[in-house]
Amino acid sequence: MRIGAFIAAAIGFSVTPALAHTPLFSCYDNGDGTVLCEGGFSDGSSASNVPIKVKNGDGETVAEGKMDENSEFEFDKPDGTYSVLFDGGEGHQIEVPGDEIVE
Amino acid sequence: MKAILFALAASAAFLASPALAHFQLVYTPEVNLEKPGDLPLKMIFWHPMENGHAMDMGEPEEFFVVFKGERQDLAPTLEPITFHGAENEAKAFEATVPVKRNGDYIFALVPAPYYEQSEDIYIQQLTKSFVNKGGIPTGWNEPVGLPTEIVPLNKPTNIVAGSTFSGVLLSDGKPVPGGEIEIEYMAAEPDIDADRPGDPTASPMPGGALVAVTDADGEFTFGVPKAGFWGFAALGSGPVTEHEGKELSQDAVIWVRAYDLN
Repeated sequence: MRIGAFIAAAIGFSVTPALAHTPLFSCYDNGDGTVLCEGGFSDGSSASNVPIKVKNGDGETVAEGKMDENSEFEFDKPDGTYSVLFDGGEGHQIEVPGDEIVE
Repeated sequence: MKAILFALAASAAFLASPALAHFQLVYTPEVNLEKPGDLPLKMIFWHPMENGHAMDMGEPEEFFVVFKGERQDLAPTLEPITFHGAENEAKAFEATVPVKRNGDYIFALVPAPYYEQSEDIYIQQLTKSFVNKGGIPTGWNEPVGLPTEIVPLNKPTNIVAGSTFSGVLLSDGKPVPGGEIEIEYMAAEPDIDADRPGDPTASPMPGGALVAVTDADGEFTFGVPKAGFWGFAALGSGPVTEHEGKELSQDAVIWVRAYDLN
């Protein structure tokens, strides 16, 4: 499972062209203590209702929710190391490490 | 006078350089973005296929970007530059646009009409270029509402070299049948730091302009033979036909990016 997420993350971050129904997920530090993530699929389909988990450095979930109707999710930036998991189901998971989330 | 004209004509013929089309550029080197950042854009009025003469641009009438249906005015961000063409220097413009969110960014430029002395007409090329961030398509196939524009029927940010590009020509939002489309390759992509052309990777072929004509539905298709930037210009397709008492050719220009399939 963790390996699958890792592979998906690697795919998400390589410059491999996204093909049909590849999940896409990007997060931005808003600079005001909050983080905005947006997702979607390469065929243009919506990612609304896709579950999102924010994890701390120990892998514990510190916040969770679902992508809204605009395929967006906003949360308060945790202290320390964190990552965000876009959980689109088997083969559609992307984990973004917090240190790659910049303003 | 006659002697000078004759000499000019003779030298032009001697150079055997076919006079190709004017093309307005809205150029940025990388149209598929992965990360947020500042996008450099160069507005140059040029003969790109022959890496030829560049024309002075006046202050553009409009410059904007459409993202997910929202139009943002970018005219205040325009800065004048000098483009150091292979043949001459010309007034051009640049802008730096921050790009953050994923999706299609459609840049549109309405330049000031340009007076073309040789034909005694004005030329105004309403130009669109496309950038995508993050691989998510969000409306590249929608018109942005220019008086005349070419709307792509293939995703314009990654045409496969060797495949085709199709577009539909609109004037006042309606398809234009029988419209003449000139086609050019950006042979010497500009060096955006130096504001001069890069090394040419192609030169014009015999026979002059590459031309397609739109069908009854206002559509055209062109087989794209080579990776790089391709421009399509519909000549005189716009509704405005006069400027300051002279004929105006209001053209629709679109730029697309082709890649080799490796």
